[in-house]
Amino acid sequence: MTGGLNRIAFTTLAFVLAAVWGLPFLYSIWTAFHPEKYSANFVWNAPLTLSNFAEAWQAAPFALYFLNTVILITTVLVANLILCTLVAYAFVRYRFRWAGFLFSLVMVQLLISPEILIVENYLTLSTIGLTDTIIGIALPYLTSAFGIFLLRQTFLTVPKSLDEAAQIEGAGAWRILWTVYVPLARPVYLAYGLVSISFHWNNFLWPLIVTNSPEVRPVTVGLSVFATVESGIEWSLVNAATLMTTAPLIIAFLIFQRQFVANFMRAGIK
Amino acid sequence: MKTQLKTALPLVMGAAMSMTAPMAQAADLEFYFPVGVNAPAVATIEQLTNAWAAQNPQHTVKAVYAGNYEETTTKALTAAQAGDPPAVAVLLAIDIFTLIEEDVIMPISDIATSPEEQAWIDSFYEGFMVDTRFDGKVYSIPFQRSTPVFYYNKDAWRAAGLDPEVTPATWDEMVEMGKKLTVKDDNGNVTQWGTRIPNLGLAGAWLFGGLVKSKGDVLSTDTGTEARFDTEAAKASLEFMQRLADEEVMAPGGITWGDTPKAFLEGQAASIWTSTGNLAFINENAEFDWGVGFLPGGDGPGAPVGGGNFYIFKDITDEEQAAALDFIKFMTTPENQAIWSMATGYVAPSQAAWDTPQMQAYAAELPQALVALDQMPHAYREFATFQRARVTQFLVDAIEGVITGETDASAALAEAQEKADDILGEYR
Repeated sequence: MTGGLNRIAFTTLAFVLAAVWGLPFLYSIWTAFHPEKYSANFVWNAPLTLSNFAEAWQAAPFALYFLNTVILITTVLVANLILCTLVAYAFVRYRFRWAGFLFSLVMVQLLISPEILIVENYLTLSTIGLTDTIIGIALPYLTSAFGIFLLRQTFLTVPKSLDEAAQIEGAGAWRILWTVYVPLARPVYLAYGLVSISFHWNNFLWPLIVTNSPEVRPVTVGLSVFATVESGIEWSLVNAATLMTTAPLIIAFLIFQRQFVANFMRAGIK
Repeated sequence: MKTQLKTALPLVMGAAMSMTAPMAQAADLEFYFPVGVNAPAVATIEQLTNAWAAQNPQHTVKAVYAGNYEETTTKALTAAQAGDPPAVAVLLAIDIFTLIEEDVIMPISDIATSPEEQAWIDSFYEGFMVDTRFDGKVYSIPFQRSTPVFYYNKDAWRAAGLDPEVTPATWDEMVEMGKKLTVKDDNGNVTQWGTRIPNLGLAGAWLFGGLVKSKGDVLSTDTGTEARFDTEAAKASLEFMQRLADEEVMAPGGITWGDTPKAFLEGQAASIWTSTGNLAFINENAEFDWGVGFLPGGDGPGAPVGGGNFYIFKDITDEEQAAALDFIKFMTTPENQAIWSMATGYVAPSQAAWDTPQMQAYAAELPQALVALDQMPHAYREFATFQRARVTQFLVDAIEGVITGETDASAALAEAQEKADDILGEYR
């Protein structure tokens, strides 16, 4: 009886939370597809239009920006996956001097907000001549303390016996990493990938500061053209641009969500 | 004072500069600009920079869009600290003290020394030049300057039985007329407020400066070390804002800047206090008869001025400095000021620009644009001190505390004053 009640309560709560999360999104869809004057008037037969998207697309070289963002996040993600995996593997599998100390150094990095380092990072990039390049934007993010931490914790849960069995079969360190650890950590890789992609997709201030040319700037910089201060905010334009720039992320999430959940389920059953 | 030591250096550099200036050498300029208005402004900036580059084939200029004002300043400071400053940038006029303290800009009056150049500096309206000066030197050149005006819906005026050509001149008239303009539906819900003054955040503090000016006082002086929060004028201004809410002339509580033009266009407010930067937007979208007037004042008219100026950075080559100066002179020719003003709604900062045929034609077509100009003699610089971001926040907190009813005007202002004096004390 109480189980049924609980269930109803939870379902209601889920719907309320979903509505709270979904309303701004629905609002942005509404304004993006309607002329500006309907942005606060909800008339069911308000004329639909795509002109907001056309206008937003014209306001900045978005095609170029999209390409740059994709290059940027691919670079960062690939580098992150490789570097974090190797570092985490070393921390888990090898006993070496200062291992605990080194790991705590990595952890300390989590406490430092990237904004504090903007000037220092800029200085470094400018010394090696990498300002205004995509690799320059990516450089400070090529490895990640969070990624190392996450993978280390996951690798620690891998039963020692699996590792030992592989060793008895004659597998080397690389082989063990590739055939034992990495497959078992797949859900974590997926989760980390999603978090990392959405972070770098949304990153704005650092790319803005370190780049000058449209040729290397990511999509968030294009979006900021609409964030006006002086004149009023044109919600229909802002939301059309926002939908446009976040669409790939939303679509990617919808596609991967099934796999994401499925992966967790499988990991749980094992 | 440490800043005075720092200003001696550009003096020497400037003197060296003026000797080499006449030689036209090739220079690659980087020009950072913020876009305060909608996207077409970017196209206009590029059109103007390309025109300069075409006239000066020996130089190149790269216009770099750098976000909003705050982000552009961060970007310019970061680049300057890394020894890689832009040659020229449009930054907030009130950031002058920050830029001087960081020792990244040079006085333009030290480079622009010829009689024609002096005349050029003198050609701008005094109201816009106040915040370009420090310690007897001119550090920046007015470019995208704005001032708030009173936009009103003439149809709403007529519906309330008011003369559509008369706007409230004083705060009392504002309250009196506003009461007639506030419209309620049968359930007692307000469907149209008499007026709307944004009072949240930095925009709120900006407009507040105009209220204080109209009571015959100022929030900051040109020394950069004085914040005047705990004054009779500031108290009266806060009380006026409260009175508007109490008498149901204006919605109680916080009022955002960004949604203000929309509230006007949709008829939720019969009048609004907002920047001239909205002229084009409102002109395009208003479906009713509208007009513009002076901001109602306490003892007389009063308004703040805001916006961005051109700065020239230090640590660039002499050729770049000369080219940067030439670039600024080009961007502020009367014709180009007119182009920029018409594209954006910013107030062209010199009389010569208003005398151009283009601007005359524009003013004939959109006479509302002239009101801001007439109001200029009553306008005063936006709040500016050293450590501006922190000190302004105290004022913002005080205003927001009062309008949300958390504290009363005297206590809030006294507290803001104390905190500001703590910070500014070491600069005096």
